[in-house]
Amino acid sequence: MGEIKGFMKYKRQPTGYRPVEERIHDFKELELPLTPEQIQQQAARCMDCGIPFCHGVGCPLYNYIPDFNELIYQGNWREACELLHSTNNFPEITGRVCPAPCETACTLAISDQPVLIRHIEFQIVERGFAEGWIKPMPATKKTGKRVGIIGSGPAGLAAAQQLARAGHDVVVFEKDQKIGGILRYGIPDFKLDKSVIDRRLKQLSAEGVQLQTDITVGKDISAHYLQKQFDCICLTMGAGQARGIPVQGSDYENIVYAMDYLTSQNKLCGGDTIDSRAINAKDKKVVVIGGGDTGSDCVGTARRQGAKQIVQIEILPKPPIDRPDDTPWPNWPRIMRTSSSHQEGCERLWSVMTTKFTGTETKVSKIHCCKVDWVQQDNNASTGLSTGWKLKEIPGTEVILDADLVLLALGFVHVVHNGLITELGLDLDSRGNVAVKNFQTSQPWIFAAGDTINGASLVVRAIDSGRAAATAIDKWLKIT
Amino acid sequence: MSLMSFVGKKRNFLEESPEHCRQLKLPHPILTNEDIERLKAVKREDFRVATIHAVFDANEPDAGESLRKALDTLVDDAEKAINNGASLIIISDRNISPDKAAIPSLLATGAVHHGLLGRGLRGKAGLIIETGEPREVMHFCLLCGYGANAVNPYLAFETLFELRRQGHLPAKIEPTQIADNYIAAVKKGILKVMSKMGISTLRSYHNAQLFEAIGLNRDVIDKYLTGTSSRINGIGLDEIACDAISRHKAAFEEHPPGTPVLELGGEYLFRHTGERHTWNPVTVSRLQQAVRSNNPMLYGEFAQAVNEQAEKLCTLRGLFEFEPGKPVPIEEIEPASEIVKRFCTGAMSHGSISKETHECMAIAMNRIGAMSNTGEGGEDPARYTPEPNGDSKNCGIKQVASGRFGVTINYLSHAKELQIKIAQGAKPGEGGQLPGHKVTEEIARLRYSTVGVTLISPPPHHDIYSIEDLAQLIYDLKCSNPGVRVSVKLVAEVGVGTIAAGVAKANADEVLISGHDGGTGASPLSSIKHAGIPWELGLAETQQVLVMNRLRDRIRVQADGQMKTGRDVVVGALLGAERFGFGTAALVMLGCTLLRKCHEGACPFGIATQDPELRKRFRGKPEYIERYMFFVAEEVRQIMSQLGFRKFDDMIGHVERLGTNKAIEHWKAKGLDFSAIFYKPDVSDGRAIRQIVSQPDKLADHLDWQIIEKAKPAIENKKHTVIEMNIRNLNRTVGAILSNRIVTKNGPEGLPDNTLQVIFNGSAGQSFGAFLAPGVTFKLTGQSNDYLGKGLSGGRIAVITPAGAPFAAKENIIAGNTLLYGATSGEVYINGMAGERFAVRNSGAIAIAEGVGDHCCEYMTGGTVVVLGRTGCNFAAGMSGGIAYVLDETSNFDTLCNLDMVELESVWQKEDVKILIDLVQKHFDWTGSARAHQILSNWMDCVGKFVKVVPFDYRKALEKMRAAEQRNTETTPATEEVFYG
Repeated sequence: MGEIKGFMKYKRQPTGYRPVEERIHDFKELELPLTPEQIQQQAARCMDCGIPFCHGVGCPLYNYIPDFNELIYQGNWREACELLHSTNNFPEITGRVCPAPCETACTLAISDQPVLIRHIEFQIVERGFAEGWIKPMPATKKTGKRVGIIGSGPAGLAAAQQLARAGHDVVVFEKDQKIGGILRYGIPDFKLDKSVIDRRLKQLSAEGVQLQTDITVGKDISAHYLQKQFDCICLTMGAGQARGIPVQGSDYENIVYAMDYLTSQNKLCGGDTIDSRAINAKDKKVVVIGGGDTGSDCVGTARRQGAKQIVQIEILPKPPIDRPDDTPWPNWPRIMRTSSSHQEGCERLWSVMTTKFTGTETKVSKIHCCKVDWVQQDNNASTGLSTGWKLKEIPGTEVILDADLVLLALGFVHVVHNGLITELGLDLDSRGNVAVKNFQTSQPWIFAAGDTINGASLVVRAIDSGRAAATAIDKWLKIT
Repeated sequence: MSLMSFVGKKRNFLEESPEHCRQLKLPHPILTNEDIERLKAVKREDFRVATIHAVFDANEPDAGESLRKALDTLVDDAEKAINNGASLIIISDRNISPDKAAIPSLLATGAVHHGLLGRGLRGKAGLIIETGEPREVMHFCLLCGYGANAVNPYLAFETLFELRRQGHLPAKIEPTQIADNYIAAVKKGILKVMSKMGISTLRSYHNAQLFEAIGLNRDVIDKYLTGTSSRINGIGLDEIACDAISRHKAAFEEHPPGTPVLELGGEYLFRHTGERHTWNPVTVSRLQQAVRSNNPMLYGEFAQAVNEQAEKLCTLRGLFEFEPGKPVPIEEIEPASEIVKRFCTGAMSHGSISKETHECMAIAMNRIGAMSNTGEGGEDPARYTPEPNGDSKNCGIKQVASGRFGVTINYLSHAKELQIKIAQGAKPGEGGQLPGHKVTEEIARLRYSTVGVTLISPPPHHDIYSIEDLAQLIYDLKCSNPGVRVSVKLVAEVGVGTIAAGVAKANADEVLISGHDGGTGASPLSSIKHAGIPWELGLAETQQVLVMNRLRDRIRVQADGQMKTGRDVVVGALLGAERFGFGTAALVMLGCTLLRKCHEGACPFGIATQDPELRKRFRGKPEYIERYMFFVAEEVRQIMSQLGFRKFDDMIGHVERLGTNKAIEHWKAKGLDFSAIFYKPDVSDGRAIRQIVSQPDKLADHLDWQIIEKAKPAIENKKHTVIEMNIRNLNRTVGAILSNRIVTKNGPEGLPDNTLQVIFNGSAGQSFGAFLAPGVTFKLTGQSNDYLGKGLSGGRIAVITPAGAPFAAKENIIAGNTLLYGATSGEVYINGMAGERFAVRNSGAIAIAEGVGDHCCEYMTGGTVVVLGRTGCNFAAGMSGGIAYVLDETSNFDTLCNLDMVELESVWQKEDVKILIDLVQKHFDWTGSARAHQILSNWMDCVGKFVKVVPFDYRKALEKMRAAEQRNTETTPATEEVFYG
């Protein structure tokens, strides 16, 4: 363990951000790293628990958190970097964008402030790149088997890297202009600078992963071609089917999906060619519908584009500051979260439901909303416990918001069915995800991983899923 | 203790010849890599060294056969080497290769050792094991215990050197130093293990085979580990070979880049990819959530997770299944409120855990009519007064352990049950240890010790050396609180049944069988994995022996050791337990997440800490424990309903309702045979298989009843009373019942000084004046047996050599051994010599004798001892507190005193001189001692001959306290110094 009672001696020191006034004028990353000395103190707060919940239930990748904390405390950065990479292919990405369920599961989070795990991870991997410790690790033996990966998001890239290192020939197909999927086009630059992805892609390429862009599988190349070319393929195209809002007026042209909006700005930042209808919030009254992380990214992006006014509305009630009983430790807590984008200025409304959109012929100008109440449903007779919550409109609470641009950040339903999935005729589960058994779909040569099988989730879960799928594929290839 | 041994060819020990000395003398059994090379290079005709190779073919299809052949060859090789004149055989697994796997070193050692024994050759050569396997203390103990004279753990050394090269160990430490440090650690570990088994020299430990195997089949045991107890059979050579080969293959296999070559293991700390633990993120968090939200469904998830885990070969009971019966409706089953009364929380001392935690458990258990346990750290008397809301913090069970911390007459008098802790399951053979930083002002007060001074309980009870002694202690305790139940806590181990039978005969009301996997938070690492056995085995043996000897009817049986669920309870009941202890589970409910840092005092949940800041973080509530106990009881009822039992009592001992779960098809579980556990003795004569009668009451003819009758004016009205009576040595524990009556009536302060004086004439039996209460003076003219003044609680005892005795008082022993054991206050004056272990574990009494035997002041933590004459050897061993003054007329006291923890000085400071002269004067006043008179008359001559004995730690603590007093304007109590100083 770090230091006995280190958690009492040192307080958690959260990372800072560049000043709002400065950062809203650019799309550069805004988190300010701590110094190595500060990091060592933060690592000293770790108690090397007998049961490390951070590692055991918090981190979907089961990162060896107490172990790398200890290494950092001892100043052994290089080994920490190796250990971190043994469970996580892209710690530089999770170190930036992970909501860190490890921290909410940290035993210190029960009665104190958790260890600064995410930022320690960030520092380890950045140090690793700076020192040149992170080198390509090509396979020592080739198997001669070929695997195609469809989609270059975190699940696809993790699977690709693992499979290449196991000696297989791997080709990644990406429909967009650049590799990275949601990492590149979904996450704003101020949270994840895209050079970070490029830096990692160099390693993948050097390890023999072939990265092919601008290819839409099912359109540019056929499933039949894939089957001929590869021993198996893995579908990692994400859960791209965005959730809409089925109310009157939702088809106005200035009501757009958050992902389209974020993508257009990301392409602009990345110098990609974009069609003329780039969506811009400059001088507009923007309303973001949806209170999650994507909504928050829209807020930050709109602010940087120079929006006149930004309102974010959420149908759920305002969560409490402290962890409520309904999400007990070590579960992910339902608490009020204020992102860096929120700090940059936006109004947040809770328990608000959109009832209809009105406006001119093509454009929305007003959003009609009402307040809602969440009532606990009747108790279950046998357990005496509530069976859930139900939404109730509160009559006479109509609010009308002005809007020149409405961004729908309501989450995703499942993988896009039209196209490849339908063409391949794969079985789906009850939620519309691709159904798999140990990552194998209803067609034995087709595997799937990430959001494609789980529905939209965290980057860290996608990496985990990609790694696990790679293990399953490797095993399958060995026996076929 | 010694780790020295001689290795080589043993010759006829009835002869003496120079050749007898051709032995290698080893200071300890660990050889470095240089040592082994040097040995291999020995070229002497009279001391030949041969190397034989412990490897087997890794590619043969029948791995077990391959291993079997290799073992046979190995023994043949050893025999050949001996025939060729070797007097030292090195069994080496150095030459492993992709095709040759190492024979597990213990198997190789046992095979050669027993193989040579069988051929009558074992004495012809020493065995040295050169192996990559051993790294932990247990590994070395096993090898030595099964025949190795010395071990070269080459890979352990290489690993350490590699760690240095990689920068994990400071470069400034030379490799030789690293090896030395490692050897020193292993040596300490071996000594510790030997001490736990009561063995002093490696030569006695060598080949002693003090182990029990769990899960090895008869063939392996009989051939290679001959004579070892192995009760449930299990894997054989085939499985061992498969395991060895899979490890071997893993080592030679190619690993894809980026994957760690070595797993992190997770043996001691949970790791996702490592060893399975029954307490894991899921079970801990589900249990906490269940009791906090009072949600039986979450408890169900918890219980299911635990019970399923158990089936994954984590516990023996996990491999059992219930034989179904005719179900009964749940409404007809004994209510949960009755079942919970059978539950106890574990013995965890206030000291190891915080006041808040300790009291929380007591309140919860009192609310449901069950019992909590003080542990061995005493208890604050304030807890005997109920809370305004009716809650009580008074622990039902009060423990009496070897340290006797806080065991006063008041403590004993407030118990429903007194528990004698012989050993604890998690660390058998070791006493409790409380590091100094956890000994705060509060803890020191309750334990009658000194702030900041580490408290180590002695491994044995100094008043128990035989089952008769145990009977005596049980009698003492029953006297201290007539009507109290006495239980004895034992550790599950082979032979525990016999001990339990002794306990039953010694008049105990209950015996507790403690399993190996309990209480691991406070255990040393070397005790977590390999000490003790599962309670299932110990409980089954206990039940069988008690039933077979018709003793089960009079004694209850309790089991503990990681009990978690109702299923565990039912298994325990069917195996023969009436009551059940929950230790770790109780702490988990109060917030513990198993950080396993209990010894550091840094518990962030305010549980295993005394730090005031951390204690503020305690968030446990008694309700949590109440709910849990009821959840468990309800689960018990569910199972009872399925099995067809209406009353809990009906289940106890019905082991025929347990069977082996055949659905578990692990390749290693195939050979297990639980018939030894499931054996039920013939009870066709109607003998009891559970407790149905009470132990006989043996207090009826106690002398104290007469004293109490005569002392009524003193007890009831504090009127000065003098009683005279004769005493015989069959009058044991005189004064204990009296003291109980006094504190029950008058509180812990008892009576004003000398209110009641009892003058005895004759020869007192054992435990004279035990737990004597304040205000009572016992004056005995004559002599006394052992244990005088045991647990003295404020009373005064004077033993006077009869006038006209034909011997000099100062040269004759008039009081037996082990006086004042666990005394907390009071005075003892012996006008003569006392036996061995005078004032052992004294923590506050004043004691004066005119001469003492060996081990005087052993483990003393407080009080003052004056010896006006000769002492035996080993004076002040383990003494961490208090002061002793010894009149050293022959100027050789320094040779008799154990100077490990104390220093000696002359008596010259004014305060010391004053204290001493007062004490000698008192001795004279109470006994009329001629010796005291003589010293007082020649005071100026004598004072220079006194030696003062002060423990180092005690002196430091006193200085600190004095410094704190002097700056009392500052608000720094000594306690804070403990934490931050």
